[in-house]
Amino acid sequence: MKDKRLGNPLQRQGVQNTIAAIIAILIGMLVGLIVLLFTDASRAGEGMMAILTGGLTDLKNMGQVLYYATPLIMTGLSVGFAKKTGLFNIGAPGQYMMGAFAAVYVGVKWTFLPAGIHCIVAVLAACLFGAIWGILPGLLKAWRGINEVITCIMMNYIAMSMSNVLIRAFIYDRAKNQSFRPDETAELPKMGFDKIFVGESGTPSSVNAGIVVAIVLAIVVWVVLEKTKMGYELKACGFNKDAAKYAGISEKRNIVQAMIISGALAGIGGGLNYLAGAGTGIMVADTLAQQGFDGIAVALLGMSNPIAIIFTGILMAYLTVGGLAMQSFGFVSQVITIITSVIVYFAAFILFFSQIIAKFAKGKGEKQNANAEPGDSGQAPPAQPPTPPTEGGEQA
Amino acid sequence: MSEYVIEMCNITKEFPGIIANDNITLQLKKGEIHALLGENGAGKSTLMSVLFGLYQPEKGVIKKDGKEVKIKDPNDANALGIGMVHQHFKLVHNFSVLQNIILGVETTKGGFLKMDDARKKVMTLSEQYGLRVDPDALIENITVGMQQRVEILKMLYRDNEILIFDEPTAVLTPQEIDELMKIMKGLAAEGKSILFITHKLNEIKAVADRCTVLRKGKYVGTVNVADVSKEEMSEMMVGRKVSLNVEKEPSHPSEVVFEVEGLTVVNKEHGKKVVDNVSFQVRRGEIVCIAGIDGNGQSELIQAVTGLIKADSGTVKLKGEDITHASIRHRNTHGMSHIPEDRHKHGLVLDYPLSYNLVLQSYFEPEYCQAGFLKYDKINQYAEKLIGKYDIRSGQGGSTIARSMSGGNQQKAIVAREIDRDPDLLIAVQPTRGLDVGAIEYIHRQIVAERDRNKAVLLVSLELDEVMNLSDRILVIYEGQIVADLDPSKVTVQELGLYMAGSKREEGK
Amino acid sequence: MKKSKKLLALLLSLAMIVGLAACTSTNPSGGNTETQSGNSASPSGNTETQSGGTVTDSAGSILNEDGTFEIAMITDKGDINDKSFNQGTWEGILDYCQTNGKTCKYYKPVDATTDDYVAAMEQAIKDGAKVVVTPGFLFEEPVYIVQENHPDVKFILIDGNPHNADYSDYKTTDNTVGILFSEEQVGYLAGYAAVKDGYTKLGFFGGQPVPAVIRYGYGYVQGANDAAKELGITVDMRYFNTDSFDATPEAQTRAASWYTAGTEIIFGCGGSVGNSVMAAAEQNNGLVIGVDVDQSTESDTVVSSAMKGLSAAVEQMLDSYYNDNFSVGGQNLTLGAADDAVKLPMDTSKWQNFTQEDYDALYAKLASGEITLQKDTDANGNPIASPVDLGCTNVNVTVE
Repeated sequence: MKDKRLGNPLQRQGVQNTIAAIIAILIGMLVGLIVLLFTDASRAGEGMMAILTGGLTDLKNMGQVLYYATPLIMTGLSVGFAKKTGLFNIGAPGQYMMGAFAAVYVGVKWTFLPAGIHCIVAVLAACLFGAIWGILPGLLKAWRGINEVITCIMMNYIAMSMSNVLIRAFIYDRAKNQSFRPDETAELPKMGFDKIFVGESGTPSSVNAGIVVAIVLAIVVWVVLEKTKMGYELKACGFNKDAAKYAGISEKRNIVQAMIISGALAGIGGGLNYLAGAGTGIMVADTLAQQGFDGIAVALLGMSNPIAIIFTGILMAYLTVGGLAMQSFGFVSQVITIITSVIVYFAAFILFFSQIIAKFAKGKGEKQNANAEPGDSGQAPPAQPPTPPTEGGEQA
Repeated sequence: MSEYVIEMCNITKEFPGIIANDNITLQLKKGEIHALLGENGAGKSTLMSVLFGLYQPEKGVIKKDGKEVKIKDPNDANALGIGMVHQHFKLVHNFSVLQNIILGVETTKGGFLKMDDARKKVMTLSEQYGLRVDPDALIENITVGMQQRVEILKMLYRDNEILIFDEPTAVLTPQEIDELMKIMKGLAAEGKSILFITHKLNEIKAVADRCTVLRKGKYVGTVNVADVSKEEMSEMMVGRKVSLNVEKEPSHPSEVVFEVEGLTVVNKEHGKKVVDNVSFQVRRGEIVCIAGIDGNGQSELIQAVTGLIKADSGTVKLKGEDITHASIRHRNTHGMSHIPEDRHKHGLVLDYPLSYNLVLQSYFEPEYCQAGFLKYDKINQYAEKLIGKYDIRSGQGGSTIARSMSGGNQQKAIVAREIDRDPDLLIAVQPTRGLDVGAIEYIHRQIVAERDRNKAVLLVSLELDEVMNLSDRILVIYEGQIVADLDPSKVTVQELGLYMAGSKREEGK
Repeated sequence: MKKSKKLLALLLSLAMIVGLAACTSTNPSGGNTETQSGNSASPSGNTETQSGGTVTDSAGSILNEDGTFEIAMITDKGDINDKSFNQGTWEGILDYCQTNGKTCKYYKPVDATTDDYVAAMEQAIKDGAKVVVTPGFLFEEPVYIVQENHPDVKFILIDGNPHNADYSDYKTTDNTVGILFSEEQVGYLAGYAAVKDGYTKLGFFGGQPVPAVIRYGYGYVQGANDAAKELGITVDMRYFNTDSFDATPEAQTRAASWYTAGTEIIFGCGGSVGNSVMAAAEQNNGLVIGVDVDQSTESDTVVSSAMKGLSAAVEQMLDSYYNDNFSVGGQNLTLGAADDAVKLPMDTSKWQNFTQEDYDALYAKLASGEITLQKDTDANGNPIASPVDLGCTNVNVTVE
């Protein structure tokens, strides 16, 4: 029976979640197709195809996918990491924003730093500011029991206004109503990507070392969560804080720790995005950073698994690039927003889907079992019932 | 007219992956008390849910007075005169008894409640069946036993003929249980038919006429209670012979390991002392049991000594060291083991694999952790060792997610973890709650074995059988105070019940 | 359970249908080059055939029947219907296409970075665009990058001149034209007219202080100053820039407080900010000078509007492409009164004392260069930080 369980991939949690995520994506695509059909039925097929293949049409687009994925993976990791430890970090937009500001500030002002060091310091500054923005809700939750969702939302708005004020005070490009761009020495190295991911007309993609940083950090987060004592404690708190307390784990310290790391990850995301050298400063605008919210979607779709988040981040970016390609067929790019929203909406049902898949798999296993042992008058316990009969009692 | 008021014939109810009821037949005669006996997971609740219309069976029919009926939802059940006292009462706490009874079947006149008629009917019923409730008392102010009687009155008020009692004695004192038994007999005598769900053999012996036994979703048989012994019934239930008594040698207590002095815990919400100046000692080689009715401060007492909540005053000493303000980790690593009351809330991280749970109190030790990284090979080795040694059954060994394990095996895992740490003091709170006979037997043996290894054991139990069988000394707790320090060999269950109910108090306590 | 299985099956089969549908369609990237005979040409419910053999698609683009087009516009960070730059430019393009039977289409970039703008422009070129119109100074750098890679494609950059990232190199190749407007001239007209009309308490309520907005404002101050000098009086001017081009309650409250404090007329200068000012004016019996387009239809409080001929300029440039071999290429044009590219709409204006004759005389002076104005930078190209530094003696400017 043990072997059979391993043998049927449908009964494995990871496989179930993956299939469930794919179902969510397919539904999103389907809704997108319906929208396309309603806008222009004659070209809907082409439009859909553009979405599906837009990220692959040339090397530059492939590079753009990785470039857009970078901040999404980081904010996704931020939200996912917090989720694993039982916290809902909806403050990623704020942490992202503060990280972005810190990175750009260092990038603009600290030009005395040598190239190479400069961008590292800028990323570290982003990390620090993001962490600071995460620590406050963490402290309030740990010591005052204030729900982190509420404080995080407030921190988002504070970050939005604060970064506007700070940009204006220190690094304001008046002519463009945005921050100055980071100095070239602060830009992330291209690592040769600008030679690989080049478009037909010779312009390189914006992809840079940021994607490498994001992937490495995703792996680091995975290692921390799965392999270390700290991860063991953080996850124990996330799954069951009472049991963690019972085991002598300090819940308060864990909450603060988790929020610091979570905030730092989102902050780095902001830093990486604005140090990419894609040619923009931080807009002075009264809007929350979209990448922060997209991180929630990325984490949700990836079931908070750091490795899965790499892929869901890339997927979201892929759709974004597809959105540009789709415009060739006369569709407005907002369709992509609809598709991603629907995917996110159904991502919330992932657990539901995977339960169905699990039941489906089990039901099948059960039938096979029953067929294999006909006439066995009830000595064999059911395969793996939800509330298994007490095996211990039988033989103890 | 049929002999049976309700018949459930060849009922089969399947859930994905499990057959909860497999061809079960249950026949209830008019005016009888019919016990439904089975271990947890035997299918009792499913069967009753089918009768109450919460589930639809795949196969089988239900007959009322010999006529086939369809019960699609609880309203149909009600219409057929079927009522149920649930294990957890369904009462509105800030309503009066009367308001609760009429809730849902209010009679009105011009939009106003006709309370007088209702009151008259309730009073009549109350007298007729000796239920003795005050219709104007608020639910939150009356005892659990009284609340149960309100539930019974609710059924009677609705003119139910078939009354289902789901584990009704779990929350009652021995005196209240006696009272309930009397009430049930009275109801049966008045022509009501009673289905009595339980796994306690004493109560079946005391009150039931017939008994239907289920095991693992299957029908084992129906017997006349008078014709069979308790041992025979338990054998039907478990499927093999079990010993109902714990065998243990007399204790030989030596030095004091654990000392509690003047411990007081004040509830933050209502400011009452839930643990009130409690002092006691536990020695090596003895099992000290704290007995009492649920909610008399046992939980808070244990949480305070284990560090889960802060004590407001008093001291706790372990092996002579004052640990009143020590961290939980310190207590855990200095000789205290704790089998918590709620294995799901405190005992296990249900979404962690079994192996992780088995090192919940030791993952940080150098043996399992190096430079911040956990040594999974060592953890798995240790888990395999415990699984073998303590016979923990799980589908995939150490990598089984704790949530998917049976309650008995979850509890065994906790017991294994706590005992294997070789503590000086083992605190076990309701270690057998919700377990079947086999698992109970096993855990009892482990606890006695710990005592025999010259450890101190502090046991908290609500089960009188467990208290009487296991302990070497009984401390009775009532409203946060220790009211008696008794020798189990010199006290009767009845006497113990009086202490627990607060109507008796040992001198000097 | 059974239901959910069915649902699952349904979903999966639908997903397959999606896949099939996608497979049967033609190569998407080649959609512009390969003609789909009679397929996309047959008008569906949402496309309408026009006289010149062109169709308007769901996004509002005018295309040839085979889906090809010649003129592309890239939006900046706003949407196509932003009631501002994007919309004004697009309307000019549409107007030209409808009149002359040309085809056009717009693209919205993924994000507001240089690389994203470049990507969107290249997408348009890949899809067959012959002329790319880019509204806004944010395109200065993208155009600088793209113009050299695509010598066969013409670029019309509105409100900017192409330069590289650090402003060290300005270059406008022969296939590119950069257009700036003399906003200060029309600001001057508005300020002069307001004071001539008898108002002595003026306000300037600007959007983000981008160069164009600053030029409007500084011209407005200079115009008021000159009129005040002629009348021998001193006027008061409250001067403010918001952080955005959005209509916000804060902006409305501030404008209302100006009116209640005695300000008679406010130049609401910057996208939707003007709507906040109009709302405040309606509640407080105030008056407004509109901006960019003739805003007299938007509120009765609008006395006049400082218009710049955005769409006219776009049409001019397109005309040069189609009929004049793009002779404007390689130039950075500054369009002003001399080119008839800025004006006050005197037909809809509600001036009491400022007459058409006054306007014409003043306009001639601006067009001839008799009146020269300070822009947003001084002679050395350094920005003039505040309107106070303009040296206007007859206007008390209070910057808020």
